[in-house]
Amino acid sequence: MQAAGASVAQRLIKPNDRLTSFERLQIYNQQYWWRLLGAFGEDFRGLHAVLGERKFDRLAVAYLEAHGSQSWTLRNLGAHLVSFLEKHPEFIHPRAALALDVTRVEWARILAFDDPEKPPLTPKQIAKIPPDRLRFGLQPYLSLLELHHPVDEMMGTLKRTEISAMSNAVAATHTRRSKAVTVRRSRTPIHLAVHRVNFSVYYKRLDSEAYHILLALRAGSTLDEACASAFAGSKELPTQSAARIQEWFARWMEFGWFCRP
Amino acid sequence: MPANRFNAHTEYGIGIGLRIPHYGHILQKKPVVDWFEIISENYMVDGGRPLHVLDQILEQYRVVQHGVSMYFGNAARPNRDHLRKLKRLVKRTGTPWLSDHLCWGSVDGRFTHDLLPMPYTREAVEWTARNIREVQDTVGVPVAVENVSSYVEFHASEMTEWEFLCEVVERADCGILLDVNNIYVSSKNHGFDPYVYLDAVPAARVAQIHIAGHTKYERFILDTHDHPVLDPVWKMYAHAIQRIGRTATLLEWDDRIPSFDEVHGEALKANRFLPHADTIAA
Repeated sequence: MQAAGASVAQRLIKPNDRLTSFERLQIYNQQYWWRLLGAFGEDFRGLHAVLGERKFDRLAVAYLEAHGSQSWTLRNLGAHLVSFLEKHPEFIHPRAALALDVTRVEWARILAFDDPEKPPLTPKQIAKIPPDRLRFGLQPYLSLLELHHPVDEMMGTLKRTEISAMSNAVAATHTRRSKAVTVRRSRTPIHLAVHRVNFSVYYKRLDSEAYHILLALRAGSTLDEACASAFAGSKELPTQSAARIQEWFARWMEFGWFCRP
Repeated sequence: MPANRFNAHTEYGIGIGLRIPHYGHILQKKPVVDWFEIISENYMVDGGRPLHVLDQILEQYRVVQHGVSMYFGNAARPNRDHLRKLKRLVKRTGTPWLSDHLCWGSVDGRFTHDLLPMPYTREAVEWTARNIREVQDTVGVPVAVENVSSYVEFHASEMTEWEFLCEVVERADCGILLDVNNIYVSSKNHGFDPYVYLDAVPAARVAQIHIAGHTKYERFILDTHDHPVLDPVWKMYAHAIQRIGRTATLLEWDDRIPSFDEVHGEALKANRFLPHADTIAA
């Protein structure tokens, strides 16, 4: 806070025998930044690991200055981070693609944790509707991501490292000072579902066709339309495709991903 | 008074805050706890684990809601989305009363996530009481407003904090969540006698009492809720109980949270002071 801040403080706030007006106001200023940076850091530990402490802190301050909390809950603090990073790649250079992938996954985790759940569709309900008219809604907590890096594997490694560090104080200090995490870019896109089962958040890798079927269903396509567009141009035999689709749907029904549109 | 209309005529004893590090212990060991206080905003979500845990807790325990973001002292009216979700949660928990703070914390759509003190003016009394009445009318249970700890005082104030509190609760016809630790912290930061504050509080409106730990720095005290309750605060609590009577008491421990047994053990120390409640000061 600059001299102007001190003059505003003097105008509004009484000093006491120990602190000036500005120093009293500074208590709240420090608490504010400590609280928001703490919450932001908790939500984006993967991004922190990728950027390293200095770059992450610089990004956090810039982001929170641009997008301070606009909700009564800190849960939504990171809601604009992906679009902020897309507009300001200088904060994540030279690892912009990885940083964006990680941020997408970490925001999807937050949504998966406490976004609403609708009553899942049952096989009986589905069987009543002909496939050419069958439309599915997807659970609000389910995110479908196309990534260029195996972020799910990276997050798993990070979690194991943190758990191990917590049980070893020396290692914990070392972990805090360790270098930024590196992850090799994948040669082909990685399709990832971020969802929850029994109130825990999970990642599920998807075949490309499976991902595109789910995207099309979410966009309002019928089952027939979604399957046809996902396999358009495929050299696979229809019987092979049908078997794969059947297997995927059985798994997705188990997860409870489908609900009324 | 112990049971009054501001705590829905209940006689709750000693409770602790429901905190994530204790979920496992509580759900597995099912310890005997008179009641839990929950932070409303943590459960004002649309799905997922928080509500699942809450529902399991509600099967076994009594729960009272305590909010941190209603901001009665905002010049603007209460946030409608917040109020809608709060009302939904009240129905779920069956809380006999709910509380939030005598403070402001957001302006022009930006939230500070802090409990900011207000200038104690007649104008502020009016809009604060208006906001409390609106919340009470909407949620349908009594509301108790909590005094905050503070680190600033304003030139614009026209009265003391305790005078402001009394005016607000009269105008709003609401209860008081008397935070004894907050009075202590503010008294040290602002140089007033905490017992003057305690004695000014209308006993008949006290629905609940908070006790907590704090941290002393060189030039101020910070309300950190990360320590056991200190002796001066226990003394003030004893004085409050003498004046007010046996009242629902909650220990707040929100940071560097130790084991469930340690937190609950600390809370139960309040029992030392409760037997004297049968003798109430004239």
